[in-house]
Amino acid sequence: MTDHRRRPRRRGQGELEVQVLSALREAEGPATAGWVQDRLGGDLAYTTVITILTRLLAKGAVTRERAGRSFAWTPASDEAGLAARKMRKVLDGEPDREAVLASFVTALSPDDERLLRELLGQPETERED
Amino acid sequence: MGVFVFLPLVLPLTAWPIARLAEQRLHPGTATRLLTGVAGVMAVCSTVCLALLMVVGTAQLPGNPLPDGWSDPEVRAAVPYDEIAGRVAIPALLAVAVVCAGTLWRHGRVRRRAHRALAGLPGTEVAVLPDETPYAYALPGGARDRVVVTTALLSCLEPAERRALFAHERAHLTARHHRFLLVVQLAARANPFLRPLRTAVSYTTERWADEEAAHAVGSRRVVARAIGKAALVSRGTPRPTLAGFAAPGPVPRRVAALLEPAPAVRNWPSLFTTVGMATWAAAVGTALSAMSSANSAVTMVLILHAATPL
Repeated sequence: MTDHRRRPRRRGQGELEVQVLSALREAEGPATAGWVQDRLGGDLAYTTVITILTRLLAKGAVTRERAGRSFAWTPASDEAGLAARKMRKVLDGEPDREAVLASFVTALSPDDERLLRELLGQPETERED
Repeated sequence: MGVFVFLPLVLPLTAWPIARLAEQRLHPGTATRLLTGVAGVMAVCSTVCLALLMVVGTAQLPGNPLPDGWSDPEVRAAVPYDEIAGRVAIPALLAVAVVCAGTLWRHGRVRRRAHRALAGLPGTEVAVLPDETPYAYALPGGARDRVVVTTALLSCLEPAERRALFAHERAHLTARHHRFLLVVQLAARANPFLRPLRTAVSYTTERWADEEAAHAVGSRRVVARAIGKAALVSRGTPRPTLAGFAAPGPVPRRVAALLEPAPAVRNWPSLFTTVGMATWAAAVGTALSAMSSANSAVTMVLILHAATPL
């Protein structure tokens, strides 16, 4: 508990994923974890980089192939794609999300759908009298 | 004395007609404020009433940690069936506390997680996510309000309709609609009789944002089309709770409302029409209910205060 320097790192777990992904996207071709570590500067442990890369792999944001005794990593999506995946996970994990996030539209019943098509299908001249 | 002490628990029932009429007849902004205010007052009164019933009814039960003085015989005389009411009030109050805390916690958690998911993106107000599921949200975050929208939704809208969508979400954020929604949600948890008000307010906030969007893009029809297209393209996930629901859902009603002329901001209908009389009667009735609800709660506090050396 005395080591306060660890705290910002815990908070920035998602930010680390983004940093690693950005670094990987700057590489020309597949890169190793060691290359990513160098790229990000010295404060990240090699094992941390591996952990983050594995997490990104589970999210489908990177792919890897065996290169000799280690893996070479390739980005499979950009930062926005990663954010989209994470957002989907947040939304899917929250059954009552309408209560928190005001959604643009809510789901339609079949009757609603028919009614909506009728409303929108009406020629403008008919409604504007 | 007598049964009046239970009034705050059941008076929310009297708000149903105004919830119904306000969402149809009043400007959505007025309706949102009115219904949220009523729901908040009634929920607080109902919870205070529950807490006092609990104190009065149980303070003299053996093993109770509360001082005996809190349950003076005079006070208990004011509460019919004080022991039964008191015992019932304990689990009820606990349930209210637990679900309300849960609601607040979930609210914070979803907002935090959603902001974290967007952490890697540039800090622009609109975050466009490449996703084949069409959705759009307003994500409130103090200084970092954001509009989240997916490419799938944007691709089905024309430029003017996209502007309508963004204007709609911005209206949610600038008018802090999530606060109204949170209040009515907590109110509905505190007293289940207030649930129709929550449904009404979640509809009126959407209508309110629709009206703001129509004002911003200068065309009601464009907003109607944007809502209609977005709803039709995201219809793939019907909520099981809505299955078999006969009345038209909120989306067709919003579109229909946009195809009508804009509602006036101060459009309390005239007293001399049938609708006007109904609306006014419902509003006055609800106001009286809210006041007598508050009155009952305050009276109980006063009795308790007078009879006990606090």
